[in-house]
Parts: sequence; C-alpha cells; structure tokens
Amino acid sequence: MTNGTEKSAAAGADASAARRARTEFARLISYIVFGLGSVYLSVRAGALPTSRWEPLGAGSFPKLVFAVLAVLCLIAAIRAVIDIRKTGHLYGLSGALRRWIRARQVAFALFGLLVVYLAALPYAGFSLATFVFLMIAQLMIAGISKKTIIQSVIAALIFSVGLNLLFAEVFNVFLPRGVLFAG
Amino acid sequence: MLDAFLAGAHQVFAFDTLIYMLIGSVAGIVAAAIPGFTVTMAIILTLPLTFTMDPLQGVSVMLSVYVGGYTGGLISAALLGIPGTPSSVATTFDAFPMARGGEPGRALSLGVWSSFFGTVISTIILIVAAPPLALIAVKLGPWEYFSLIVFALTIVASLVGNSLMRGLIAGVIGLGLATVGPDPMMGRPRLTFDSDILMPGLPFLIVLIGIFAISQLMSEVEDDGKTGTKGALIPDVIEFKTWAVMREVLMHPVNLVRSSLIGVFIGALPGAGGSIANLLAYDQAKRSSKNPEEFGKGTPDGVIASEAGNSATAGGGLIPMIALGIPGSAVDAILMAALMVHGISVGPRLIMDNADLAYGMFIAMIVASLMMLVVCVLSMRLFLRVTDIPKQFIVPTVMICCVIGAFALNNRVTDLYLLGAIGLVGYGLKSLDYPLAPLVLGVILGPIAETNLRRALMSDGDWTVFFTRPISAVLLAAALLSVIFSVRSVLKMRRKDRAATDEQDGD
Repeated sequence: MTNGTEKSAAAGADASAARRARTEFARLISYIVFGLGSVYLSVRAGALPTSRWEPLGAGSFPKLVFAVLAVLCLIAAIRAVIDIRKTGHLYGLSGALRRWIRARQVAFALFGLLVVYLAALPYAGFSLATFVFLMIAQLMIAGISKKTIIQSVIAALIFSVGLNLLFAEVFNVFLPRGVLFAG
Repeated sequence: MLDAFLAGAHQVFAFDTLIYMLIGSVAGIVAAAIPGFTVTMAIILTLPLTFTMDPLQGVSVMLSVYVGGYTGGLISAALLGIPGTPSSVATTFDAFPMARGGEPGRALSLGVWSSFFGTVISTIILIVAAPPLALIAVKLGPWEYFSLIVFALTIVASLVGNSLMRGLIAGVIGLGLATVGPDPMMGRPRLTFDSDILMPGLPFLIVLIGIFAISQLMSEVEDDGKTGTKGALIPDVIEFKTWAVMREVLMHPVNLVRSSLIGVFIGALPGAGGSIANLLAYDQAKRSSKNPEEFGKGTPDGVIASEAGNSATAGGGLIPMIALGIPGSAVDAILMAALMVHGISVGPRLIMDNADLAYGMFIAMIVASLMMLVVCVLSMRLFLRVTDIPKQFIVPTVMICCVIGAFALNNRVTDLYLLGAIGLVGYGLKSLDYPLAPLVLGVILGPIAETNLRRALMSDGDWTVFFTRPISAVLLAAALLSVIFSVRSVLKMRRKDRAATDEQDGD
C-alpha cells in the first residue's frame, strides 16, 4: 500500500517536473525569438544617420533599447536552459503542444474569424461584416442548435446595425461603409 | 486656485456630463460584474465614446467607469466566489462566506460602503498631494525625468507578474515598440520597413487594446465550461440593510483608513494596482486584528479592508499621473492617452496650464464615487443578473467594441490590421506568463524617456551627469535597489522551496 502511494507520488512529481520543463522550453523559444529580433533591430537602428545638430540622432535610443532587450533575453535564455537541465524531464513535447492547441481551438478559430472580419470590413462595410462575424462567432462558442441560431441572429442584428447607428447618429463616429455600399 | 476649482466644478456639474457619468458608472459596475472582464477593459471600451466629448467631460466619464468598475467586481466576488476583476480576489475571502452564510445583502452593502469611503479618502489625499508634488516635478531636468522613468519601469517589472526577468523583458519590448515610426524629436521614420502600416508608428491605444482586450477575450473562450457560472447561487430575496451597514463600516475607522492608505500608496506606485492593494490591505487587516482566526469565515473587517484597499488605488494612481505625467497603472495610462488624444500634454505642468481640468478631475472622482453609491444602493438587484449573461454574447460583442475603438481613434483601416497582429502577440505573451502591464507602460513611457535622454545629452554629452546630479542618482539607485530586492526575494523563495523539498525527500 505504502509502496503504491510512494509510486503515485513519484509519478505526480515527475509529471509536474515535465510540465515545468515544457513551459520553460516554450519560454526559451520566446527568449530566442525576441533576442534575435532585437539584435537585428538594434543593428538596423544603429545604421540610421545622425545629425550635425544632435549627435545622438534618431537611431540611438532604439539601438540602446534593443541592445538591452537582447542582453535580457540572453540572460533569461541561459537561466531557462539551466532550469530545463535541472529538471531533466523534457519529453512529450509534441503531445503537450497538441493538447495546448486543442484546449485553445475555439480561441484560435475566433482569432482567425477576427482576421477575416478585419480584412472584409473595408469591402463589406461595418454592418454586414459585423453581422456575419457576430453570428458565426456566437455559434462557434455556443454550438449550433435551433435556439442558439435564433438568439445569434437577433443579437447580431442588434449589435451590427444598432452599433453602427449609435456611433453615426449619437457620437458622430462613422464606421466603414464598405465599397459595396459606397456611392 | 479657487477660480480653477470653480471652473472645473462648473464643467463636471453640467447636466449632460452628469448623465454621461451616470451611464459610465452603471457601465463600469456591469462590466466588472462579469467574471473575467477587468476594469481596464471597461475603460478601453469607453474610450472611443469620449472622443467627441470635451476633455474634462470625457475623463469624468472614464473616471466614473473606473470607480464603478472597482465596485462591480465585488458583486460576483461576494455572490459567486469568483472575483469579477483581479482586483477583487481578496474580497472573495470573506464576502463570499458571509453571503453563503445567509447574509448576501450585508456582504454587498459592506463592500459598496467601503469602496465609497476608500475612494473619498484617496481623493482627499490626491487633492492634498498632487499640487505640491507637481511643483517639485517641474523643477526636474531631463536627467531626473529619464531616471524617474527607469525607476518606474523597474518597479513595475518587479511588482507585476511572477517573474522579474519577464517583467523587465515586457517593459523593454514596450519601449522598443514605441520606437517604431517617426522619432519624437525630428520626425525621422525609423524601423518602418517602408510599410504604410508602420509609417505612422504604433498608436499607444491600438497596442493597449490589442495587448489587453483581444488577448483577454481569446483567453475567455479557452477550455470552455471551466469557468461556467450559473445563477443558481444568487438568492431571490436579498436584504441590503443599507444604512445599518453604513454605520457598521464607520464603526471600523482604523481598518477603513489603514486600508485606504495602503490603497493610495500602492496605487501611486507605477504598475501596482488594485489587485495588489486588495490583497495587501486584507493581509494587514488580518495581522492587526484581535481575532485573526475569524478572517476567511465571513468577518466584516475582511470585506471592509479588501474593498476600501482596491477602491483607494483609483485616487492613488492619479497622483503620479497628474503630478509627474507617469501613469500609476494601465487604467491611468488610458486616461492619460485620452487626454493626449484631446491635445492636452500630461505632465507636471498639467496642474499649472490646465488647472481647471486637474481640479475638475478631483471633483469628478468624488461625484463618481457618490454616483456609484447611489446606483449600487438603488439597483444592486438588477446587476446581480448580469452574471447570468452567457459568454457567447459577451465575447464577440466586446471584440466588436474593441474594433470600433481602434478604428475611431484615427479612422484608419490599417490600424485594425495592427490591432489583430498585436492581439495575437499579446495572447502569446499572456500564455507564456509575461506580465502585460509593463509592456503597455513601456509603450507610453518610451517617447517621454527618449525625448528626455536626448535632451539631456544634447546640452552635455556626458553620461556621468545622470549619476552626479543628486535626484537622478537617487532615482537610479532606487531602480537598482528595486531589482536587487526583487532578485533577493526570488532567491529566498527558491531556497525555501528547496528546503521544503529536501525535507519531504528526507521523510
């Protein structure tokens, strides 16, 4: 009995160490991306010309900022590597990534829909694009049933046409009319 | 001074301003009552509506959303045990047990009155502290200002989030983002890669909406069902006992004033907002209580401390913003940006050049807290129903409001593409546990830091001046100390963890 409890406790500690190592690995990738990006931007900013009136010039501040960022990322990356080596349990990466994405599939789908909506906005206009976006987004989150479809259509109508009218008539903020409806 | 005070009062007490503030107060309470939606998001959504208003009118409306928002978080904290905003985490410790113990009305009334008194106390301190601080601040040179910003950013990085290093990285990324576009002194384009989208720079508000709101909305639809809340916990009949509870709150003057002072102090520190004040005030109340064992079981002292603490940060956060031009929190940064949209430069001269606006803001704080009180007392029952609205309506609709806000700022469709890209980056950073507040403060402080650094070195190219001018040296030393203390506390915690693990292994 005690043996079994010990075994399950050890397995739990092992799983938690693996999780910690995977999180640290994901962060390590972010440090590398930010670090390399900041080195590139620092060099690019350094190439900006200075002025006779102002020796520092437009490039000095971004050069300094991105150099500091590169140093911070380097330190963070070294610490992350040490942490990962210490825990020594970096396995199951692809499975964990799949689980991570699966848990966020609605979030990513919603973001994809937002991108399509933003791209369509100048062409379709605010009311039409918003109506379609709201309806699909609501059904995506709530699931498709007769009740949710009716609710979504009503809510989408109110917040697409209604918001457009509110902003145009009350706040004098004119939202994109769309090339289809302009003229 | 009296003229400016009266001019400010005249604008705040205009009928239309009061109506807008009332709507703002209701909106703030409603938004914050929805679990997962922060006060920051409520303010972001209010921003585009204020573009067409006068500066003071716009800021007054945003302040009423701010004050209302800090109270709204209390509703779901007390009744559902879920903090409506991160700044009402400690409120759940005692308000929720009190509500479950059959006194939901008392828990809510205690919270509302404590919030009201907390806001009023913080506003009084704001009125007393901001003008003299601004008088000192105008005497600071570019060296001191640059060092002050370095200090502010290190404080933010060390106070917010779980890691100093990631906080610092986020803050510096913010400074870096602010360098894209025309440089603040000569207007020379930088790091734009000849792209039309990047040519005007990254507008602060677009970064803010993308980083905070879009990433938060995406998080809301992760693992659906985990945070699902049903309204069954809310009883149909609630007795609020408004006036009896007011007397009860006033019977705890030491706790009320101490918690409010903690709130003001924490609010005045850049980056540290209501969430820290809420926990710290609760902790202090528990430590100095004669009956600490009652905390966590529904004691009124716990509710008073947590709610007075978080509400008092509203006034505290305005102190550095009005006196120094350095926002105390993300919400203050939005208020600052709103004033900048109206062409008002925020800094130590604000109180001298636009005294009516500064004094008007003080009056608006008091009026907003009164409105919050009246709205809560009269219609708390209605707000309880807000927590029942399903996510499928809220998330997409709020997303649309964010898009409208981003578009209305400059009427530029390209800003919307930036919004999408920044939103995705924000979501990635949030998933990796980077604190987002330092990044946003970095973006707003970046141009101020750059202008002051370049000015300082333009007159005298010697870098050592930053260390030889006393105030500048003190501020840089304070920045270094804040990093050292933060690193020390992390190391201490690690040692403790290691000792605990060794002990477990030894067993």
